[in-house]
Amino acid sequence: MKKELKIIQKERTNPLAHVFDDFISFCQSKSLFMLHYCTGCGAIELPPAMTSRFDMERLGIQPMVTPRQADILLITGYVSIKTLKRVILTYEQMQSPKYVIGICSCTVNGGMYWQSYATAKKLNEYMPVDVYIAGCMPRPEAVMEGLQRLKDNIRNDKKEHKGSAWKDYFNRYDYYLGNQQALFGDDWQTPTDIIAEAKLYDLETEETYGKHTKLLEKHQTPLLPQEMRIK
Amino acid sequence: MRPENYQAVKLGQSNEYEIFIGPNHPGIEGNYAFRLMLDGDIVVSGKADAGYLHRGFEKLMEGRLWIQNLAIVPRICVPDPAPMEVAYSMAVEEIMGIEAPIRAQWIRTMQLELSRVAAHLFTFGGHAATTGMYTPMFWGVADRDLVLDLFEDFTGGRVYSIYNIPGGVRRELPPEFLQKLSNLLDYLESRQNDYDNLLFTNQVFVDRAKGCGALTQEQALELSVTGPNLRACGLAYDVRRDDPYLVYDELEFDIPIQTAGDAYARILVRRDELFQSIRILRQIIERLPSIKGKIRTPIPNPLSWNVRKGEAYARVESSKGELAYYVVSDGGDKPYRVHVRGPSSMHAVQTLEFLAKGARLEDVAQIMFSLDACPPEVDR
Repeated sequence: MKKELKIIQKERTNPLAHVFDDFISFCQSKSLFMLHYCTGCGAIELPPAMTSRFDMERLGIQPMVTPRQADILLITGYVSIKTLKRVILTYEQMQSPKYVIGICSCTVNGGMYWQSYATAKKLNEYMPVDVYIAGCMPRPEAVMEGLQRLKDNIRNDKKEHKGSAWKDYFNRYDYYLGNQQALFGDDWQTPTDIIAEAKLYDLETEETYGKHTKLLEKHQTPLLPQEMRIK
Repeated sequence: MRPENYQAVKLGQSNEYEIFIGPNHPGIEGNYAFRLMLDGDIVVSGKADAGYLHRGFEKLMEGRLWIQNLAIVPRICVPDPAPMEVAYSMAVEEIMGIEAPIRAQWIRTMQLELSRVAAHLFTFGGHAATTGMYTPMFWGVADRDLVLDLFEDFTGGRVYSIYNIPGGVRRELPPEFLQKLSNLLDYLESRQNDYDNLLFTNQVFVDRAKGCGALTQEQALELSVTGPNLRACGLAYDVRRDDPYLVYDELEFDIPIQTAGDAYARILVRRDELFQSIRILRQIIERLPSIKGKIRTPIPNPLSWNVRKGEAYARVESSKGELAYYVVSDGGDKPYRVHVRGPSSMHAVQTLEFLAKGARLEDVAQIMFSLDACPPEVDR
């Protein structure tokens, strides 16, 4: 018994639609909640950036404690394989639109730990990354600059298409899942059903499916809408 | 997410339930997790779940040149990196049979004490934040930044300085640096009353911290507790005095102790240590200009540098406790084996598990921050 989720296609007929879109992206860029997953050394430069000296809040960015309400996922430093599982889980829990910032050189290419057996080298193989801030470790000024860049990307997304990297996770889920399976084994799965979400948001493409998603389907039961029952 | 290899245990009828703290949690210090079994809000048992920050440091160091290792050594403990560099350099110097010039030793001592000041200021903020007081956190981080500015001035790096090399330090102090340092110490001393009023004698904080996570001296010794946490149990043990390294035997300082052994005693020991460090730095400002000479004993070309066969154990007192490096060389251009004896793995794993038992849920974060463990150093 497999129930299909109904997708309502909305056609945009309002002539003022792009004005609303602009307004929405303006508002989004001015109020961002940030979940900082302190994966490594870079976390030590976040307290100065958040508190009185550099004061992130004047950019409209505040720390948030739960992934469900956060907009930005901040990965601060090298990601060991054990941590990467939690990072992916956290990322999938966040609601779209969501943005990822990789701080420190270790998230870019492995950095200082390029030969370590325990770390994942490139973060953008496992999830789409919006902004990288290189440096070991980047100064608080660099962190602020990176956040400012993200805000500009969100603001000008309609023109430049730089602020919607999160869509890539749904568009090319097979690629990301393949990299995750290569690291964690074939029985890797998360509680989130990305394919159902891709259908719901109308973001599925040919590359959403592939041999890796087939492997996943073997041991994953699709999330079905629960019936309401009154006893 | 559940810890690795987690298997649900079927229990009989019971009031106990399990709760996971971390690895991404505001009440945990860094990337570290803790699994608690609770009855009501009393912790029945706790289990540490480390390994999120494991990079295989000791193995990585076997694959790099002696000089390359200097770059990764400070990454072991992020809030207090200077003792790492110094301990590694001292161990390599001991194998090579050379000694840093006396001026370099004074500069190293100054760097260590500055690093201790920065680390303690950071800890005050973290500990206060776990009791719901966020103003000390803002103050501590802001005052620590002033110390980091000085680090940037004389080493070039804000957090990781990589200023020491075997044989000495990399460069001479910039002009008028000691005057800047003196001004900073004046400022920090003028803040003493503010910190006392806001945090250390604040009744809200005292009520929360007193009696929380108390250790007796015997328990502390059994659990290999060192550093300020041991001194809070009434034992005046300090590597700086009991096994003097660098120039500590020429400096005058007291070893502050408390006897209660609880979270409040631990933070009071750190507060007193901060002012002892300022006292040491004042003596260094006075003595350093009169000590002339080189800052570095020459070493061979670092790219083809074979350290002679031997082994050495060098220990220093970091802000977290006793830190030691055991380095073995087989005569090659890379270390044969490096072992790090970090203080935090004893504090964050066995001591925290021991102290969490019987504590209340809201005190677990405070106990962890009062032990001042450093998760990157636990996992390495």
